[in-house]
Amino acid sequence: MADSPVSTHNPNPAAPSDDASPQQQKQMESAYANMKRKMSMQEIGRKIKHKVMVLSGKGGVGKSTVATGLALSLAQEGHSVGILDIDITGPNVPKMMGLDRKRLHVEQGRIHPAQGHLGVKVISMAFLLEDEDTPVVWRGPIKLGAINQFIGDVEWGELDYLVIDFPPGTSDEPLTVAQSLPDIDGMVIVTTPQDVALLDSRKSITFSESLKVPVLGVVENMSGYTISGKTSPGNDIEIAGPGGKKHKTTADSDGNFNVTLDIFKQGGGKSTAEEFGVPFLGALPFDPGFVRGGDDGVHRIVSEPEGASAIAFAKVVEAIKSQIGSSKSQGLEII
Amino acid sequence: MPDVPNLTRLERRDTDMKLTYFDGGEFTVTYDDLRHSCPCAKCAPLRNDDANSKTLRRQVEAFAPEKPQVRPVGKYALGFEWKNGCSSGIYRFERIWALANNQDPDNGKSYVHGAW
Repeated sequence: MADSPVSTHNPNPAAPSDDASPQQQKQMESAYANMKRKMSMQEIGRKIKHKVMVLSGKGGVGKSTVATGLALSLAQEGHSVGILDIDITGPNVPKMMGLDRKRLHVEQGRIHPAQGHLGVKVISMAFLLEDEDTPVVWRGPIKLGAINQFIGDVEWGELDYLVIDFPPGTSDEPLTVAQSLPDIDGMVIVTTPQDVALLDSRKSITFSESLKVPVLGVVENMSGYTISGKTSPGNDIEIAGPGGKKHKTTADSDGNFNVTLDIFKQGGGKSTAEEFGVPFLGALPFDPGFVRGGDDGVHRIVSEPEGASAIAFAKVVEAIKSQIGSSKSQGLEII
Repeated sequence: MPDVPNLTRLERRDTDMKLTYFDGGEFTVTYDDLRHSCPCAKCAPLRNDDANSKTLRRQVEAFAPEKPQVRPVGKYALGFEWKNGCSSGIYRFERIWALANNQDPDNGKSYVHGAW
């Protein structure tokens, strides 16, 4: 395809006749590549057991962090997992997965994913950029071509789960994936507890209803920041939180105390899920370790597999698996 | 959006398709009706005007009878591919349900270019 970011040229495509003009030959090659891609997409439906889309209405709520966290948490449980970073203009997943500056391997027109922590396979636009400061300035149709290549031309192999990370919003990218990728299990909507993020999350829920892709549930990210300290045993502590809210606690017999501050409020994700009648998958704590881990390429789940964040992710993963298990397949027979 | 039962079976016949829904309901939609109601950006505006709509209908009826290839579009729609004429339309299940029930799939609204 002329608008493709990755060359899929096959030296022997459907043997075009010698007297075909270069333009006809190009058209035939393009048609052949498209046909192959369609077949490959159907095959992906069989080879990848579960496909989960991770979306949010608003930017900056931690979608990529949640998507990578879910992928790593699933891999920790022994599943074979892939992560598809569909954020064409702002691809961050490779950096978070310790794959910064890696290149993709292409063999016989098939793209082979890079492998990150815990063997998670990764495909991202970032692998195709000459340098990380180069912007991708593409209009919709070209993005669509790239997304279809990422779905149809990638040699994922057999996977238990494919986690798909999207840019914020409800536009081209999730629409294209929902149309092209067969048998999507559902969408995970990521939100933070503040009203602006919740408002946009509602749009994502309605969007998924309109595409008939089930909402697996809502995840509330950055939900409370826990601080801990030490003082004399039994001491009463009072801490001023955001907005001047007072938090009181008492140190235990060893003098340890901890208090959870609601940086962005708390509970909005759960109430939105209840309002729309979709499952609430859990809350993930505000953890500065994610920022450091993202920058260093060592995800929090990898650096601290028994930590509070890893445990919170494992709970969300269990909730997702239970939702996937309970969803009924509604096949259509076409004869 | 109307609550539409799940379409469980689509049987392509020579000039129409027989649809069976999850609740057991069976309906028939002719290919002429289906093609005339194509929701694509090229065909749909033609139905905004009676004369153009009739022209479109005559064009559709003039095509040689053929069974289309049917492809699911995600979980929310179907696409129909014909040897001749327009194959671009993405038919949401609500639209197919409206056609099956002899309702106006455009709900009397003029065509406005949308996401689908």
